[in-house]
Amino acid sequence: MRARIIDRQDVPLLIDLLRRDHEVIAPFYGRGRDTAFDVVTDENRDQVQLHLPNPYYPPKRYVLPHMQRLMRYTLGAQPAVTSDGEARKRAIFGIRSCDVAGLFMLDRHFLGGEHVDVYYKNLRASLFLVNVVCTDREQDIDEDCFCVCADSGPAARENFDLQLMDLGEAIMVVAGSAAGEALFGEAIFRKATQEHVERRRAILAEVRKGFKKATSWYGATMRLISQGEVSDEAWEEVGRRCLECGGCSYVCPTCNCFTVTDRKVGEKEQEVERVRLWDSCALSGFTRMAGGHNPRKAVHDRRNRRFFRKLAHYYVQRQLSVICVGCGRCVNVCHGDIGMPNVVEILRRRSLEQGTR
Amino acid sequence: MSSALVSGKAQIENVYLPKSAILDRVVDEIDEVKTFFWHFENAVDQETFRRFKPGQFAQVSIYGAGEFPASLPPSPTEKETFFTVRRVGSVTAAMHALKPGQRFGVRGPYGNGFPMEDYHGKNLIFVAGGIGLIPLRSCIVYALDNRERYGKVQAFYGSRTPKDLMYVDLLKEWERASGFACHLTVDRGDETWKGNTGVVGSLFKKPGVTMELDNTIVFICGPPVMFRFVLKDLKNMGFEDRNMVSTLERYMKCGVGKCGHCCIGVAYVCSDGPVFTLEQIRKLGEEI
Repeated sequence: MRARIIDRQDVPLLIDLLRRDHEVIAPFYGRGRDTAFDVVTDENRDQVQLHLPNPYYPPKRYVLPHMQRLMRYTLGAQPAVTSDGEARKRAIFGIRSCDVAGLFMLDRHFLGGEHVDVYYKNLRASLFLVNVVCTDREQDIDEDCFCVCADSGPAARENFDLQLMDLGEAIMVVAGSAAGEALFGEAIFRKATQEHVERRRAILAEVRKGFKKATSWYGATMRLISQGEVSDEAWEEVGRRCLECGGCSYVCPTCNCFTVTDRKVGEKEQEVERVRLWDSCALSGFTRMAGGHNPRKAVHDRRNRRFFRKLAHYYVQRQLSVICVGCGRCVNVCHGDIGMPNVVEILRRRSLEQGTR
Repeated sequence: MSSALVSGKAQIENVYLPKSAILDRVVDEIDEVKTFFWHFENAVDQETFRRFKPGQFAQVSIYGAGEFPASLPPSPTEKETFFTVRRVGSVTAAMHALKPGQRFGVRGPYGNGFPMEDYHGKNLIFVAGGIGLIPLRSCIVYALDNRERYGKVQAFYGSRTPKDLMYVDLLKEWERASGFACHLTVDRGDETWKGNTGVVGSLFKKPGVTMELDNTIVFICGPPVMFRFVLKDLKNMGFEDRNMVSTLERYMKCGVGKCGHCCIGVAYVCSDGPVFTLEQIRKLGEEI
């Protein structure tokens, strides 16, 4: 393990190092418990904290913005099509392990397969990730966290550039990439000792026990979904609870569906841009075709889609894990109480009760 | 950075950018349906595009209105490139308003297409209803241009009225062609109609029509109602699911397996399809 130690009071200096050539994003307290990712400035630099609740909105907007311009053109004899270019260098300080895993899922989707998504790649390639391990049971881990079940946390094992872990007065910094390790030459870093490594291990073991009531037992449900053995009644129950708001998709760090539309820019009639926007399979227009035919009209069919996409073996094989990172945001946001753990439980229990096996 | 997927430095093509095409001429087919002949502004684009396979599709951009997926009715053995488009929504309406000489955007071809090479030596039966002939036109022309590679070739095509028959000039040609049996029908005839009246399935039982069960691939394309009934007829005759192929339609945005709209079960219609065997369609487990 390529690890170093920095003093607790030197954490802002680490942020300064990143700010030399990155726009640095970090989670900040807003009102009450609410936190949100925001840009670190000279004014708020001292308010950056290691331990605070994970923001409701995931950091996926830094690679897949809510709305992103794909191209721009001028109407007329010869519309000149131009696309958006390079992205600025950006660092996310304090990204949680669940969200690191979420970004990796998006990487598999947008950068894998036959076609590479250039817009995603531009944003992703200029992103530097400083992961903070959730060790504070009061601040970091809430009632709905279940990263332990999704195997994404509390400490990410890969896909970050730097990982910070709070050992008390000392902070252990692990490098996950060459770019991360390159920073180790700076004066704030000193060598880690065997004692530090053991402390890290002990704290992690303890934190793993500190997760609260939320659990998600994927195994049986994955099998039922993959083999088409979930009963219709089970899907209908999930469908009945869905209010079709799409909130689960918007707060999900792994949801990647988008829609595309052309719109006029500003006052001029001739300037048009094509943008993509976040979309959700919960919404009835998601599959409605021109002419009105909608193959997935019923709510439970649409809910079926979401959980099929997340839990079917076919996709799990391709994205190397269930397409859920256990961040608990869907649990938090859903008015119908059908966040991931609950759905996993409903599908399993209902299907098994009805004796489909 | 940090993950290996992210680090590749190579210049990648932006798949979302359409290439500029010029509309050459427009031909009225039937009510609300027109055929648009076009070519790419850049000759290299045209050459690359013309290597498409029957059954593939393209994303058509009408500047200022949006983008939609369209089947490719020409066969790669033909010289001209064209789309046949029915006016159903705002973007297709904007396409119908285009004048020859105007520019629009095309990207593609996308999708798997029909594996016409795998069917060498087999009998081919084409069953189409209404504008379902648009994607099948490509395969039929391709099969006739490679006639010696296939066994018996038959087509059954039906529409609501004689006025709704697509590609009428081509149909006349097909009716006269040797080594190819083309059977037409309409649901409701008119005073000029001398052919068969009834649904497409009624053609299968006509005297003189024999359909080989063995070594035969059946292509089916048409509206959902026709699809269901034709399927029932073919099943009763003994055709197997794995020997029946169709092409599916879905709401699509990207065409390259990223936007998520066209998923059916584990398949993206845009990149795993749009051509599926009936056996595959049944496994997908969603309404078609």
